[in-house]
Amino acid sequence: MLEIKNLHKSYGQHIALDGVNLQVNKGETVVIMGPSGCGKSTLIRCVNRLTEPDGGTIRLGGIDVLSLGNSELQDLRRKVGFVFQQFNLIGRLTVLENVVFHLVLGGMDRDEAWARGRSVLARVGLKAAEERRPHELSGGQQQRVGIARALVTNPEIMLWDEPTASLDPILVGEVLEVMEELVKTTATTMVIVTHEVSFARKVAQRIVFMDQGRVVEEGVPGDVFARPSSEVGRLYRKLLVN
Amino acid sequence: MLVFFRDGFYKDLIILLIITVIVGAVFSQGIAWAIDTYFGDTLDGMIGEYGEYDVILHIREEAKEAAMRELDRIGQESFPGYRIKESLTIAGQANFFFGFPAEHRTKEVLEAITSYFGAVPGISGYTLMVEPSVLIRGVHPAVREDLREQIEGLEGVRFAVKDGGNLVVVLSHEDRIDTVTGAVESILQQYQILELRFPMGFEVDTQEVGNQALKVLRAQGLSGDRSYTNVTSAEYGEDLDAFLKALVEMRDFLGSYASQVRISPEPSARLGVGELIILEDGLIIEVTGVYGDLVEAMIVEGSPVQSTDKIVQRGYRFLGEGERGEWIGNVEIENERYRLAYAVDESLRLLEELEELSIQASNAVDNAEAVLITFQEALMQLEVLQVQMRQLNEGIAGDGINSSGEQFLLTILLNGLFQTLAQGVINTGEEPLDSLQNLDLEAMRKSLSGISEQIGNVQETDVAAIIEQIGFVRDTLPNLNDAEIGQSIRLINTYLGGQVIPGERIQLLIQGKAVDEKMLEGVFQRELDNPYLHTYSTSVGMVTPDARGELFRILKEVRSIVAGMLAIIFTIIVLVLDHATIFSTLKYVRASGKPVRKGLAGLLNPLIFLGGALGSLILTSVYYLARSEIPFFSLPLIVLLGFGLGVLIAFMAERFSPVNSMELMAAQSLGLSNVQIMREVVIPPSRPGLLNLLNRFKQQF
Ligand SMILES: Nc1ncnc2c1ncn2[C@@H]1O[C@H](COP(=O)(O)OP(=O)(O)OP(=O)(O)O)[C@@H](O)[C@H]1O
Ligand SMILES: [Mg+2]
Repeated sequence: MLEIKNLHKSYGQHIALDGVNLQVNKGETVVIMGPSGCGKSTLIRCVNRLTEPDGGTIRLGGIDVLSLGNSELQDLRRKVGFVFQQFNLIGRLTVLENVVFHLVLGGMDRDEAWARGRSVLARVGLKAAEERRPHELSGGQQQRVGIARALVTNPEIMLWDEPTASLDPILVGEVLEVMEELVKTTATTMVIVTHEVSFARKVAQRIVFMDQGRVVEEGVPGDVFARPSSEVGRLYRKLLVN
Repeated sequence: MLVFFRDGFYKDLIILLIITVIVGAVFSQGIAWAIDTYFGDTLDGMIGEYGEYDVILHIREEAKEAAMRELDRIGQESFPGYRIKESLTIAGQANFFFGFPAEHRTKEVLEAITSYFGAVPGISGYTLMVEPSVLIRGVHPAVREDLREQIEGLEGVRFAVKDGGNLVVVLSHEDRIDTVTGAVESILQQYQILELRFPMGFEVDTQEVGNQALKVLRAQGLSGDRSYTNVTSAEYGEDLDAFLKALVEMRDFLGSYASQVRISPEPSARLGVGELIILEDGLIIEVTGVYGDLVEAMIVEGSPVQSTDKIVQRGYRFLGEGERGEWIGNVEIENERYRLAYAVDESLRLLEELEELSIQASNAVDNAEAVLITFQEALMQLEVLQVQMRQLNEGIAGDGINSSGEQFLLTILLNGLFQTLAQGVINTGEEPLDSLQNLDLEAMRKSLSGISEQIGNVQETDVAAIIEQIGFVRDTLPNLNDAEIGQSIRLINTYLGGQVIPGERIQLLIQGKAVDEKMLEGVFQRELDNPYLHTYSTSVGMVTPDARGELFRILKEVRSIVAGMLAIIFTIIVLVLDHATIFSTLKYVRASGKPVRKGLAGLLNPLIFLGGALGSLILTSVYYLARSEIPFFSLPLIVLLGFGLGVLIAFMAERFSPVNSMELMAAQSLGLSNVQIMREVVIPPSRPGLLNLLNRFKQQF
């Protein structure tokens, strides 16, 4: 489904990605973990080119992502759901509008879009909040709107960039619940960047550890947490034991 | 980066630009027009509508009421149907606008304003403002009637009225202003006043030299038909002449008051007028005249030692601050001012002593009278003595037996003494005592009392008052030092340089093709044997717009400037409100896109060009369409200014309109096209401007 080879990205002198290779199969749930600043966000933003990599190849569903022109890229992006750490909702739109506006702009009939929007909102438990605006919601609710927005297009792949990292610990649970439910009930391929170790162990089919712009270890959760081979892996194992 | 616009936003941008320019032009011109109208109305309110009034009468404020009554009376009596309006009072002077009924708006009436209104209380003058008219200023008196005749023959001219040195050409209709102006100008062009100016100090017989100059002019054999007349006239600017004369007097007075500086130049030193020379003690002098070996100068910096004697110092060429060149000779400085002051001081002292002296003299005369009286008494006693002595002598001689050696000796002694005494007083050769007795003691006493009287007169003279007066004169002697005097003289000379004193100017009227006066200058200098004269060419009159036209011209200028300022302000506002949003979006896109190339290519930031292009496009078009005109702002400068503003806003875009990168990134991740991102995500929350407003028509959410 997703095949990343030798991906490089620098910000000026700073190397953020230093030859990343990653393979994600269709329907698979992969969790990427690693210390802050190791390049996780950069990596998954490169997948739909929210960030332009400097070198390497990315193939998504057989398409060479980096060679796409503007409109093809936009088509591709519609098939990729992206959930942001900061939710990134459109502040002036209502909850429902946030979930459906891109459907309408993509050419969908308004009624259909609205109907779909309501149903996804119901799925993330926000049916009652559709007329509210993002700033009237709690962080957890906002992130559930973000999830609904990504979900509403029935994406082939969902990319999660630390969806719970900016939430109160109390609110983390409600988001993780939704995520877990999604992983279980949909066949969508998931690439999740998170620090939630127990969540990772529970839902991931594969764990990828990153450090300093490289993939340093990967494997099934049972293996990597039990016998980590990398420094990063050992740190997470310690977290899990605690 | 600009690829970002390719999927459609450029259309929005073009529409935005067109509307921006139209709105900008309408806005700038609209406000300027409002100003125009407002002031125009104010102007009409102040000076009446076009053609409503014919003359402004200036009246002293305190006589306003009385004047108004009198004006009404004159109006009713002589000009039934007249219009009158009191306008502004400026600096104690009220202004009344008076309009004649059409049948009275004639040459006869307009030239007789003084005889009609001269008796109005408090009147201090008038200004003609007949409309429609063409005003010719500074009409040379020699051609006035000639001009008037020609101008009155023009079509559309009713008549021409003399108004002081001006000629007011009254027209039949305002449509004629342009054609008549043109015609008058071409009439004026047929005349030229050629002026020969002699520098100050030349007394010239204007009649004689003028005729000589005419001859010289005719002898030139210049091509073309011309007539030449000597029109030298004193009617021109008498006040100025008086003033200039006073200035010359002043300068000469100052000149005689300054130190006299004479240079005995070294044979090798060539000195010219205006050269600066520095003396041993730091004084700086300027050469004012070179007459062979005699060089005169004046002090322009520093003060000489105060001395009534001649000061002699060595002089060196002055080469600028603190630098001196070669020795050019000895410089003598004499200061009449110090001498004068010295003389005054001396006479003061003398006067004081005189007063003292008169007191002493009167004492002396009194003493002399006392002496005279004593002398008279003494004389009488002498007579007695003489008698006694004679008796004594006789006695001695009578009985010689009795005469003793002692007595004889006494006689000799007495005689000798007496003779010596008498001779000492008046040496007449007569018998001593006789001559003494012959002295006219009465006459002597009389003359003594005469002297005494005169001394009394001297004492009566108020010497104190004289002393005071002389002291006052001394104190009022200008307290100027030489440098100050020198500078004053220089200043006066500079001013006088361009001016000419009456009798030192000759005016020749040339009718026909104009001559090149500078070309003739050399000819006149040679033929009239005066290398200092200069030639100037002036016209016999100048067509100027009337007061209202002038005000409207100024108003139009103000309008253009205001429009220009508004265009600039509008551009800044538009750039800040609208384009900053676009620029900050572009900058975000640029930053998240492919890395910027380094080196020269990286420096050629397309933002510079886009910003500059947008700025100059908006400003230039708005400026042009609003018919703006700011003095010194040429069109290229406006283009450049617009470019600069655009670049500035492009670089500071985030400050004015920060882009919400999170929303933008989310929109990108959702597969929105760039134009959709602009319309739905970036522009709606941006500052309320034209961009925001126009976007409402496109916006779906
Ligand atoms: N736009 C940018 N400009 C410059 N440097 C950047 C930019 N974005 C990220 N970086 C740097 O690149 C490195 C990788 O950043 P990235 O956000 O991918 O890390 P991360 O693993 O997601 O960390 P975190 O857990 O804190 O989110 C970091 O050192 C970061 O400072
Ligand atoms: Mg991150």
